[in-house]
Amino acid sequence: MAALARLIRFLSRAFGVMAAAMIVIAVAIVCHMVFVRYVLGGSTVWQTPLVTYLLIAATFLGSPYVLLVRGHVNVDLLPIYVRPRARMALAVIANLMSLAFCLVLLWYGIGFWHEAWAGAWMSSSIWRIPLWIPYLSMPVGFGLMVLQYLVDIHDLVSGREPPFGMRESAP
Amino acid sequence: MSPLQLGAVVAVVTTVILMSGMPVAFALGLVAIGFIVIYDGPQMLSLVPEMLFSGLEDFTLVSIPMFVLMGAAVASSRAGSDLYEALERWLFRLPGGLVVANLGACALFAALTGSSPATCAAIGKMGIPEMRKRGYSADLATGAIAAGGTLGILIPPSITLILYGVATETSIGRLFLAGALPGLMLVGLFMLWSLWLCWRRGMGHHTQLAYTWRQRFEALPRVVPFLLIIAGVVYALYGGIATPSEAAGVGAALCLVLAVVIYRMWDVRQLWHVLRDTTRESIMILMIIATSILFGYMLSSLYITQSVAEWIAALDVSRWVLMLWINIFLLIAGCFLPPAAIILMTAPILLPIIVQAGFDPIWFGIVLTVNMELGLITPPVGLNLYVINGIAPDVRLPTILWGSLPFMLCMVVAIVLLCVFPGIATWLPDAVMGVQ
Repeated sequence: MAALARLIRFLSRAFGVMAAAMIVIAVAIVCHMVFVRYVLGGSTVWQTPLVTYLLIAATFLGSPYVLLVRGHVNVDLLPIYVRPRARMALAVIANLMSLAFCLVLLWYGIGFWHEAWAGAWMSSSIWRIPLWIPYLSMPVGFGLMVLQYLVDIHDLVSGREPPFGMRESAP
Repeated sequence: MSPLQLGAVVAVVTTVILMSGMPVAFALGLVAIGFIVIYDGPQMLSLVPEMLFSGLEDFTLVSIPMFVLMGAAVASSRAGSDLYEALERWLFRLPGGLVVANLGACALFAALTGSSPATCAAIGKMGIPEMRKRGYSADLATGAIAAGGTLGILIPPSITLILYGVATETSIGRLFLAGALPGLMLVGLFMLWSLWLCWRRGMGHHTQLAYTWRQRFEALPRVVPFLLIIAGVVYALYGGIATPSEAAGVGAALCLVLAVVIYRMWDVRQLWHVLRDTTRESIMILMIIATSILFGYMLSSLYITQSVAEWIAALDVSRWVLMLWINIFLLIAGCFLPPAAIILMTAPILLPIIVQAGFDPIWFGIVLTVNMELGLITPPVGLNLYVINGIAPDVRLPTILWGSLPFMLCMVVAIVLLCVFPGIATWLPDAVMGVQ
C-alpha cells in the first residue's frame, strides 16, 4: 500500500515536471511565432492551436501535482476555526466531494476522448490534427487526480497528513 | 421554482460547498455538475468534458501562464531588493520617505510580477524590518506593504484585467491602459496617507543617513531593463502590434533571460523553482477558469443569469444606487473568492446590467479590479495578510489589519473618485487608441 502511494505521488510529481516543460515549450513556440510573423513577415499555421492545446494539456496533466503541493486555493475559513475533530470530518468530506468531481470527469472524459478517437474528429483550425490527442489529457489528468485523491484520503484517515495540512490546533 | 429562486438556491449551495474547504475550482465544478444533472438530466453530463475543454481553448488565455512565468522569474531574482534599494536611496531625505520608497517599489514590482503575494513577499521581506528598525510603527509598515501588494492586479500587465477582457470580450490593451492612471492614483493616495501619518506621529526622520550620487545610481542599471520589458509589453499591446499572448510570451522569455544574465541565476535548482512556481500558479488559475466557465454555463442554461439581470433592471433604482449595490456584492464575494472566479462567474450577469445602465465596460473593469484589491487584504481569505504574517511573525494579525484599514479606505476613495471622474480610467485609452 505504501509503495503504491509512493508510486502515485511520484507520478503526480513527474506529471508536474511534464506540465512545466509544456509551459516552457509553449513560451518558446510563441517566441518563434512572433519571430516568423513580425521579423520574417510570414504567416503562421500550427503555432496558435499547438500552444493552446499544450497549455490545456498542462492544466489537466499538471493538476495532480498542484493537488500534491496544496496549490489549489480553497476557502479555509471553517477549517481554521473548528475543533480538530470537526476539522478532520470536514477534510474527509471535502476530499470525497473533490474525488466525486474528478471521478465524473474521468468517466465522461474517457467517453469524450473515445468519441473523438472512434469518429476520427479533426480540429477545425487551419492546422488539422486528430482531436483525440489533445483530448487525451483530460481522462489521463483526471485519472491521476482520482488516484492522488485516494492517496490523500488514505493519508488523512491513517493520520499521516493532518487535515488541510494544518498541524497546530485551532488558534 | 422560478429562475430567481433557483438562483438563490445555487448561491446558498455554492457557499456551503465552498465553506467545506475543498479547492475552489472543484467546488464550482461540482455545483455546476450537480445542478446540470438535476435540471437538465444526467445525459447532459457527457457534454461536460467538452465544455471544460473548450472553455480553455482560447489563445488569449495563453497569456496567463506567460505573465505568471514573467512574474516568477522577476520575483525569484534579486530585482525586488534592487528596486527597493534604489528608491530608498533617492527618497531618504523626505520624512516618511522610507514608506514612500516601499510603496513605490511595491507599485513597480507589482507591474513586473502582476502578483500580489509575490510583491508583498519580495518588498516586505526587506521593507518591513527596515521600516521598523528606523522607528516606523508596525501597523504602518505592514499595512503599507499589504496595500502596496494589491496593486499587482491593477497596474498593467494584470492577469485580472486579462480575465475581465476575456469574460466581457473587451479589448485587453484598452483595459491595461485604463488601469495605468488609477494605479498611479492609488499609489499616490497610499503615499499621502503614509506621509500624513508619519508627520502626525513624528516618525521617519532619519537625517543621519546620507547616500552619495554614486550609490543612488548603482542599482539602477540592473532594474531598468526589467522595467523596459514591461513598457515594451504594454506598448506592443496597445499599439495593436501583438496579441496579449504574443507580448506575454516574448516578455516572459526576455525576463527569464535577464534574470539569468543580470542576477546570475545559472543554478538549475533555482530555475526549476521559477518553473515550479509558474506551473503551480498557472494551473491553479486555469483550473478555476475552466470550472468557472462551466458554472457560468449552468447559470445561463437554467435562465438564472438572464433572470437576475432582468430582475435588477426592473428594480428601477438610480444607476449609482445600482453601482453601489454591485460594489457591495463584489466586496463580499471578494472576501471569500479569488478574483478569477468572481470575474468569470459574475461578468456574464453584470455586463448587460452595466451596459444598460449606461456605464462604460472598460471603466467598470477598473472599478471591479480596485474592488477585488480590497478582497486581497480582507479576512478571511486576504492572501496578503498571511504573507505578511509569515514575513513578520512577531506582528499580530489584528495589528496588520488595523494598519491596512486606512489603505482600504484609500481604495474606497479611489472607487468613489473613479465614479465621479470616470475619465481617470477612460481618458488614457481613448487618447491613445481613439474613442470607441
